[in-house]
Amino acid sequence: MEQMLKLWSESGLAQIEAGTVVMMAVGFTLLFLAIRKGFEPLLLVPIGFGTILVNIPGAGFEAAPIYDAVGHLESPGGLMYYIYNVGIASGMFPLIIFMGVGAMTDFGPLLANPKTLLLGAAAQVGIFVTVMGAVGLSSLGILDFSIRDAASIGIIGGADGPTAIFVTSKLSPDLLGAVAVAAYSYMALVPIIQPPIMRALTTEAERKIEMVQLRPVSTREKIVFPMLLLGLVAMLLPSAAPLLGMFCFGNLMRECGVVDRLSDTTQNALINIVTIFLGLAVGSKMSADKFLNWETLGILTLGALAFCIGTAAGVLMAKLMNRFSDTPINPLIGSAGVSAVPMAARVSNKIGLEANPQNFLLMHAMGPNVAGVIGSAVAAGVMISMVSGY
Amino acid sequence: MEVDLFQQGVDLMLFGMGTVFTFLISLVGAIYLMSWVISRFFPEPVQPAVAVQMAPVAVVEPRIQAVIQAAIDKHRGK
Repeated sequence: MEQMLKLWSESGLAQIEAGTVVMMAVGFTLLFLAIRKGFEPLLLVPIGFGTILVNIPGAGFEAAPIYDAVGHLESPGGLMYYIYNVGIASGMFPLIIFMGVGAMTDFGPLLANPKTLLLGAAAQVGIFVTVMGAVGLSSLGILDFSIRDAASIGIIGGADGPTAIFVTSKLSPDLLGAVAVAAYSYMALVPIIQPPIMRALTTEAERKIEMVQLRPVSTREKIVFPMLLLGLVAMLLPSAAPLLGMFCFGNLMRECGVVDRLSDTTQNALINIVTIFLGLAVGSKMSADKFLNWETLGILTLGALAFCIGTAAGVLMAKLMNRFSDTPINPLIGSAGVSAVPMAARVSNKIGLEANPQNFLLMHAMGPNVAGVIGSAVAAGVMISMVSGY
Repeated sequence: MEVDLFQQGVDLMLFGMGTVFTFLISLVGAIYLMSWVISRFFPEPVQPAVAVQMAPVAVVEPRIQAVIQAAIDKHRGK
C-alpha cells in the first residue's frame, strides 16, 4: 500500500498545477501554429515540444545535477539543463547558427549597391524606440523592466532570431522564452505586419518605380568583403565581433570556393542540428513562473511595435534616399531592412509586383535585407557593451 | 531611480543609433573603396569568350572528301 501511495504521489496527476497545465497548452498552441499555420516551423516545433517536456511535473528535465558534500554525483540532472547551459548560456548555439546564416548569405546585391546599407541601419530605429517604450512603461510603474530587460525586448525589432537569443541570454535570461517566441512569431507574421505600413507610407507612383539593373560583382570582391567587415568590426565595435565574426567566417567559407564541403555542412547539417537543440533549449525556459505574467504580454506588444516602427523607418529612409539619389530607389525595398531574411525581401517584391507587374524588386531588396542582419548585429553589440555593466 | 532608468534608455537609444549609423556608413565607404581598388588594380582576368567550335568541315582533306563523296555516290547509284 505504501508503494502505491508513493507511486501515486509521483504521478503527473498528483503533482499537476494550474501553471504547468497552461504552459503545456501554450506548447500545444505553438505546435499548432507551426504545423497547421506554417509559422517558422523549424523553430516553433522544437520550442513548442520543449515547452511541453519541461512542464511535465516530476520529469526533472530542467533539474541541475546534485553533488553530495564530498563531490560525488548524486543525480545527474535533466537533459534540458545540459542543452541550455552548453548551448545558450554559453552563447554557442546562436553563434553557430549565425555562421550558417553567413554561409547562406549572398552579399552580391549589397556589394553592387552599397548605399542600401543605410536602409538596414534605418530599420534598426525600431529596436531603440522599443527600448524607450519598455523603459517608459517601467517608469510609469505599469510594468517592471530593468534596462537590461528593455534592451532584450528591443532586440526583437532586429527581426533576427539568433541575435535576439544571443542578446537576451547575455542580458536577461529569464525573458528568453518570451523574447524568442515573440521574435520568431513576428518573423513569421512579416507578410501580414509589413504590407499595410508599406502601402500607407508610399504613393502608387513610388511603388511603381523601377530600379536599374545591378552590376555584376566579381568573385574577388565577394571574397574580400567578409574580411573587410571583420576588420571594421574588430576596429570599431569588438562587442559585436562574436556575432559578426562567425557570420564573416561562414560567408568566407561560402565565397572562397575551396572549402565547399565545409560550407555545405555549415549551411545544412550543422545548422539543422543546432536548430533542434536551440529550439529545445528555448522551450526549456518556458516555465510557468517565467512566462505567465504581465511582463510577457508587454513583451509581445512591444515586440510587435518594434517590427512596425522598423518597417516604417526603413520605408521613410528609402523615400529620403530616392529624393537625393541619382538612380531611382523604390521605397518598398526599405522595409526589407528589418532583416527577417528572406521573407521581408519577398514582401517588398510582392507589393512592388502588385503596383507594376513588370517590376521585380527581389534582388534590390536583398541588399537592405542582408544589411539589416549586419545592422541588428551591430545594435546587439552596442547594447551588450553599454548595458551589461548595470 | 525612475529618472535614472529613463536616462539610461535615452543614452542607449542615442548611442545605439549613432553607432549603428556610423558603423554602416563607414562600411559603405569601405565597400566603395574596396570595389574601386579591386576593379582598378586587381581586375579579374577577362575570360575570352570561347568561340563555339563549328563542325570541322574544312578539316577534312579535299582528297578524303572526294573519296567519301565517291563512296556515297556509288552507294546511292546502286
